[in-house]
Amino acid sequence: MLKPGDPAPSFDLECALDGRIARCSLAKISSELVLIFFYPRDFSFICPTEVTGFNKALKEFTAEQTTIAGVSIDGVDSHLRWARELGGIGYPLLADPDGKLARAYGVFDDGQKVALRATFVLDRKRKVVYAVSCPLNVGRSVIETLRIVRALRTGQLCPADWTPGVEFGPVDREF
Amino acid sequence: MAAIDPAEKRRLFERLSSVREIVFGVQDGVLTTAGVLCGLSGAVSQHSQVALAALASTAAGALSMAAGAYLGTRAETEVLRAELERVRLDAAAQPYTVQEGLLDELCKEGLSREAAYRTVRLLSSSPQALTSTAEAKMFGLGGAMLGRPALDGIVMGIAFLVGALVPLLPYILITVPRFDLGGALAATALTLFGVGYFEGWLAHRDDRWRPGIRFLAIAMGAAAAGYLIGLAISPLGATAG
Repeated sequence: MLKPGDPAPSFDLECALDGRIARCSLAKISSELVLIFFYPRDFSFICPTEVTGFNKALKEFTAEQTTIAGVSIDGVDSHLRWARELGGIGYPLLADPDGKLARAYGVFDDGQKVALRATFVLDRKRKVVYAVSCPLNVGRSVIETLRIVRALRTGQLCPADWTPGVEFGPVDREF
Repeated sequence: MAAIDPAEKRRLFERLSSVREIVFGVQDGVLTTAGVLCGLSGAVSQHSQVALAALASTAAGALSMAAGAYLGTRAETEVLRAELERVRLDAAAQPYTVQEGLLDELCKEGLSREAAYRTVRLLSSSPQALTSTAEAKMFGLGGAMLGRPALDGIVMGIAFLVGALVPLLPYILITVPRFDLGGALAATALTLFGVGYFEGWLAHRDDRWRPGIRFLAIAMGAAAAGYLIGLAISPLGATAG
């Protein structure tokens, strides 16, 4: 799995976006940060809570100059139907049917033949600045991901559990 | 073409679940008693003593088999019931896990992921339907698998008695030396072949004679072994007397 500091593998994949098939290329994303989250499968029962969770928070991520992209091994037709099933998704769902991108990011589960629940945040230079992976049966926290993005955007030293409004570090603290 | 009545089919499966006890009981009753008759005939010369001992063995065997079937089914049912309860608690506490597991199983059985997803979603509208389907598909468990200990015990005991009477009756009724044992063995052989044939009929097999022959071969093997053991230990009886 890639770690902070690693250059992010580029991609140019078919995706489902706004109810149609499109292409999504990392090189063409111009936002300051890119949030890529891998999830195991369309048409499942944990993944939609994450997919819709990120969709509900899309405005907040956009406000933080962050582009979101979801990736799974399902085909683009499946993504289209899945997005429709979920009431529409405002960010691209990338089709990675052979798991190449998941492998490039080191998050392909060879046993289950799916991508792990892994989240990466890429900076302006498209280097990994945040990487985390959850077990397949545990959904990740959208709120925590947004907190991380906001913390990264400050460019400051953020203490544990930092949220906007909390003092940056280092500061003289009693531990 | 007549439609299948699921309730009737379910009743049939419930009746068939006793086949194990019937086949096992009859086979064991026939074999044990034939073995006792052969063994005692080799060791004891008096016809009445052999018949009495075989009768005692039959009574003890029937009670033992009935108790064994009752206790075995009861233990199996209790373990299964506990497992079913655990699965139901898991389903209530972690519905996503059950949904995902069931979805994977349905995909393995050939449904597309989307179709499986929709099926599981439909099932999820009724927790009972979701749980019972998950029990069957994910764990191979089902309420129908819960046995009836008392019935199994009774069926097993009666089946053993019926099986035991097959060699016992000819032996008691025929008092001519050697013909008594011959009659018992002939009845045993015929019955065991019949039980095997019956099993083949239940299984809708074309070669019903094959399980019949298998039963027969086992019977003959057991009877011959019993007779030989009786012959081997008869000098011990003579020494002790």
